[in-house]
Amino acid sequence: MRYWSCLFLLLCMPLYAAPDGKTLYEENCSACHHFRGQGGIGLPLSVEVLSQVSDDYIAKTIRHGRPGRIMPSFPKLSSAQVAAVVRYVRSWTGKPGPVFEAAKIRGDAKKGNVLYQKHCVRCHGKDGSGEGVGTGVTLSRERSFMVMPAALNNSGFQRSASDAMIRDIILIGRKSSNMPSFRGKISDQEVAHVIAYLRTMEPPAPRKGSEEWAGKPAYVMESPYDLETTVENVKQALAGANFRIFPQRYLEQGLTDEFSVNTRQVAIRFCNFKELYHLLNIDPRLGTVLPCRINVLEQNGKVLVISANVAQLATLFNNQELSEVGVLMEEIILAVMEEATL
Amino acid sequence: MRVIVGICLILLFAFPVQADQTLVMARSDAKAGHVMEVLRETLPEYGYSVAHVQRCDGGMAEFDYKTDFYRVVFFGKVEEVRRILARHPEMSPYLPLKIAVIAENNETLLAAMDPRALSPMFPDDPELQLQLSRWHSDIQAMLEEMRQLKK
Repeated sequence: MRYWSCLFLLLCMPLYAAPDGKTLYEENCSACHHFRGQGGIGLPLSVEVLSQVSDDYIAKTIRHGRPGRIMPSFPKLSSAQVAAVVRYVRSWTGKPGPVFEAAKIRGDAKKGNVLYQKHCVRCHGKDGSGEGVGTGVTLSRERSFMVMPAALNNSGFQRSASDAMIRDIILIGRKSSNMPSFRGKISDQEVAHVIAYLRTMEPPAPRKGSEEWAGKPAYVMESPYDLETTVENVKQALAGANFRIFPQRYLEQGLTDEFSVNTRQVAIRFCNFKELYHLLNIDPRLGTVLPCRINVLEQNGKVLVISANVAQLATLFNNQELSEVGVLMEEIILAVMEEATL
Repeated sequence: MRVIVGICLILLFAFPVQADQTLVMARSDAKAGHVMEVLRETLPEYGYSVAHVQRCDGGMAEFDYKTDFYRVVFFGKVEEVRRILARHPEMSPYLPLKIAVIAENNETLLAAMDPRALSPMFPDDPELQLQLSRWHSDIQAMLEEMRQLKK
């Protein structure tokens, strides 16, 4: 009994210990934002950026993420854990962050639209999606801007940024993303109009994949041909769709010795390097689902042609640009599979 | 006694909390070549065989695209692959499992799909869901080892 009590107490200890912001940051944030906020796939958390945003904004950003813009939400972190991460990030600047009033700033969205088109649209885009391909500072985006223009229409941004914080950034500007200061260039009332317009922005509706395959892990089609003929058909269809085909492998190859490997499960791997390079620039993590592959399996007297549901798979990255590509790839792969099994 | 054991088990599984993520990622201080080498040694320690390593950078370089070290490591346990594919051939695109090893200057980013992202697609197979969770735990543990690697 004593042992169990000790074990129980031991397991309970972390519940009462104060969360360690550094450890939490390194475990959850450093892969994208780097060890000290230098940025990578995720935006740099530079001193300038941190000096312009409140702790509340950082905490809400952690909590809600940026849907479709790589940054995931962290709903499972406790409030104490989020606060610990914020404290740790804030410690890099050596001073407390600004505090903004939560009150709404009233303005005329119509007038704000006119001002937005004049002053903001060049960088933040017509619909407020921000400019340029990808996010982050390494493979995935232009390096000329340290911090890319914010996606103002993103629901995560809208829920995290207070009107007063946005007003401050408009007035001060942001050197690291070439955002000029508008202090003295537009009046306080005009700033309020712009903010009112920003609050009307919504992200564009994402394109969705085929309804027939929604929620399924893979596209599966039965082939009327034998395994060997089906494999050849798939290869021909892929070549016709301008893909380069890698040497064929068996699914189990490398997992067992060559005499035990199941030779009735063939993986046909293919790639279009031009597209791949473009996609890796959008999101370098794409390798987690590469290379593209169509499997041909002989099972229970049937020959099945199977590919991952790429439209579904692309959504794993929380990257809208990649999700759009996933929908396009779905059309191509389904066409290849249909051609091979006709 | 049973209550205490039950509470202990609940607490044990409750601690790995954190993100609602669909990818498992880690950054390592070490260079990609070294991480790759250690990862190849670590996988068998967790009972996995390395099926093969795909050189994405090599392929791109062939077409004159400049890219840094970029590998995808395929790994798995043949008995698991056979058991799952017998019931779910639609799992074949996700097997063997894989981890991407990407250089970022002198550091390394590791990323893998969180196998649990597939769970909602198999609501009626608790055994597969358990397997997906086990894979996630293994991948997370291995990536944590890579994160701890020193230069």
